[in-house]
Amino acid sequence: MREAAVVSQSNPLQRIPGVAIVLVLLIAVFGAIAPGFLSVANLSNVLVQSTILTMLALPMTLIIMTEGLDLSMGAVLTLTSLCVAIVSLATKSMLLGLGAGLLVGAAFGTVNGWLVAILGIPPFVATLGTLGMAQGLSLIVSDGQSVVGIPHSVRDIYSATLLGVPVPIVMALASYAAFHGLLYHTRFGTYIFALGGNREALRYAGLSPNRLLIAVYAIGGAMAGIAGLLMTARMNSGHPTAGLGLEFDAIAAVAVGGTSFERGNGWLLGTVLGVLSVGVLRNGLNLISLPSSVQVASVGVLVIVALFLDGIRSRA
Amino acid sequence: MSSAAIIAETSSPVPLLELRGISKEFPGVKALDDVSFAVFPGEVHMLLGENGAGKSSLMKVLCGAYRTDAGEFHYKGEQVAINSAADAQKLGIAVIFQEFSLVPHLDIAQNIFLGREPKGRIPGTIDRRKILADAARVLGTIGFEIDPATIVDKLGVAQQQMVEIAKAISQNARILVMDEPTAALSDRETELLFALIARLKADGVSIVYISHRMAEVFALGDRITVLRDGRRIDGVRPADVTPDQLVRMMVGRNVDMTYPRNFADKPGEVLLEVKGLSASTGISDINIEVRRGEIVGLCGLVGSGRSEVARAIFGADPVSSGEIIFDGKAISGEPDLAARRGIALIPESRKSEGLALLRSVGDNLVVSALRKLFPSGLFDQRRAQRTSDGLIRQLRIATPGARQTVGLLSGGNQQKVVIGKWLAAGSKLFIFDEPTRGIDIGAKSEIFALIDRLVAEGAAALMISSEQVEICHVCDRAYVMREGRIAGHLARNELTEENIVRLGMHHA
Repeated sequence: MREAAVVSQSNPLQRIPGVAIVLVLLIAVFGAIAPGFLSVANLSNVLVQSTILTMLALPMTLIIMTEGLDLSMGAVLTLTSLCVAIVSLATKSMLLGLGAGLLVGAAFGTVNGWLVAILGIPPFVATLGTLGMAQGLSLIVSDGQSVVGIPHSVRDIYSATLLGVPVPIVMALASYAAFHGLLYHTRFGTYIFALGGNREALRYAGLSPNRLLIAVYAIGGAMAGIAGLLMTARMNSGHPTAGLGLEFDAIAAVAVGGTSFERGNGWLLGTVLGVLSVGVLRNGLNLISLPSSVQVASVGVLVIVALFLDGIRSRA
Repeated sequence: MSSAAIIAETSSPVPLLELRGISKEFPGVKALDDVSFAVFPGEVHMLLGENGAGKSSLMKVLCGAYRTDAGEFHYKGEQVAINSAADAQKLGIAVIFQEFSLVPHLDIAQNIFLGREPKGRIPGTIDRRKILADAARVLGTIGFEIDPATIVDKLGVAQQQMVEIAKAISQNARILVMDEPTAALSDRETELLFALIARLKADGVSIVYISHRMAEVFALGDRITVLRDGRRIDGVRPADVTPDQLVRMMVGRNVDMTYPRNFADKPGEVLLEVKGLSASTGISDINIEVRRGEIVGLCGLVGSGRSEVARAIFGADPVSSGEIIFDGKAISGEPDLAARRGIALIPESRKSEGLALLRSVGDNLVVSALRKLFPSGLFDQRRAQRTSDGLIRQLRIATPGARQTVGLLSGGNQQKVVIGKWLAAGSKLFIFDEPTRGIDIGAKSEIFALIDRLVAEGAAALMISSEQVEICHVCDRAYVMREGRIAGHLARNELTEENIVRLGMHHA
């Protein structure tokens, strides 16, 4: 009986279909019903628009692997985006703007990690609290207004290309490479698996789960900072609701991608496919002129369908 | 027996590790009382004792999880201190726990070297080739042939245990402490483990082996230490004792517990009849009869299938063959049905399975009786209140009121709430799984008085317990299980601890 259970257990590669089937189906359906969906311009648009979500979903994967959650990511992204806008406006420097965003994002991430690891507040509640704080700070620093007139050096990030590839895509690919290396090839990555899988094992090995946990959340905040630069560039302004609800899409992408919310089992490539599924869905619904309210609902449906597919496949 | 006498018994003059006069006290309990214990290089030292004899405490002392109140440790003749896990590790002591310290979604190599990964060229990275090669070498030394890149989650229990042992060996462990290592293994896997133990012995590794299985004690042990009530009773060689003698050492005769019980002279009609019951959970050909007015014990070692029998009767696990006749009618299927017909299962882990800890006493008391109390489907607050107030009075549950959160009550009162919940539902057969676990002695006799009253009023109880004393004092008769089968039946006049242990352990 035990042997049979071993054989039927899925390895990460066997999961590719779960989210890949969903992605292919979505592309096929919108290719058929949405005019212009399969055009190169539109597909490249989907990719570029998916970059911000990618940069949130990658660290979200690590956080969820620790049996955690970061609800504050969208709000922190809003705040860092505003910081990028305000600082670059004041200093005329894209890099100083990025630096400000990174700093604020990492600070929020560290606070999240500290609340979860040291104070032992459940991640859902802790990051709901910082979500509120980040949202409030966004309104304060922006005075509720858009921050406009930002330097070209910021705006151009979104439209520039490197060797013919749009810079946002280059940044997303670089992020994926960095996270892949971090999770699968470093000691820190090994310990992330242990944070969710068996925290006691880390203690036996003489490691501090708390410090590792704080680092994971801090990375999430820092990534929200970098994504904030892209958001500001994309909107050519800072806006106090820019990142509203992005944490929902990020968590959805991670779930669709097959990362488990228990026992430290994560899959980064699945997360990227999950991000693309969400991106294709939103883009396709846009093309057939369905309102954004329907988009939110359909992302919810997407999560359930993908997890259902994984469920029946692992039982089969 | 003095430590000098222990040394004289063996061929090797200096013990690898010696504990002298170790004591450990917790409020109200002497977990270890002046225990001396020596492990020699390359020997398998069996640690024997009933539940609560002090085996686990001794294990925790060895691995540095407990600080001792008194006593000395000597390593190769020199006095040392074991105050932390790091101290124990430095001395080469490793514990193979029943719950493994492995990370499920890392591979074997990463698990073996967790926290000690070989550094790669780029800072922070792992030298993948080296970690795999090192792991393969460690696995080779214990004769476990498997790809070290296999994810641990895909391994069976026995293989995970092997990885755990490999991890210990890779840390240069010279003393392995194993806590019932064969409990979850099949016969074939057990053979492989024994082969490994022989191999480790040959390499000079010492093994402290906790077991309940007599066959293992005699097959593997070079020496046996028997603990009882936190004290070392004796240290013997397997050749010098019989299983019966060991059982007597474990059980002792210092029993002075009395529980209120009015034994029924004539039990009532048959309430539950189980015929030839088998289930995929590992129980087979179970035959049990419980009459009204009786408390019937179901004993045996942990893992012998007692809880599985209870779950099968209750319908919580599917039955593969056999019959369950309750109150004259055959029943099968789901817990919902069993509960409606009048069977109550009071599980061992009342906190996770028996109670909604964050809800009130009142809510918990009526939750199983909702259908009966409110046939219309509408919740009637006053009716619920009356019912729960009545039960609180009847069962003498010590609570400020029905609104109190159940999690804040003492263990004994929580148990009463679980019982009350089934009473409200009109249950006739109460199946108790370890009803006194985590309950202090005063509350225990109250719980037993309550069970006694229930059966006196025409109900019946099937009681699973590891506390043989309690079975002997409370039950009208008892079935003893061993490895998924009923090993024997003990009538009231045969019901002694010794008989229970003998039936539960022999030929294991």
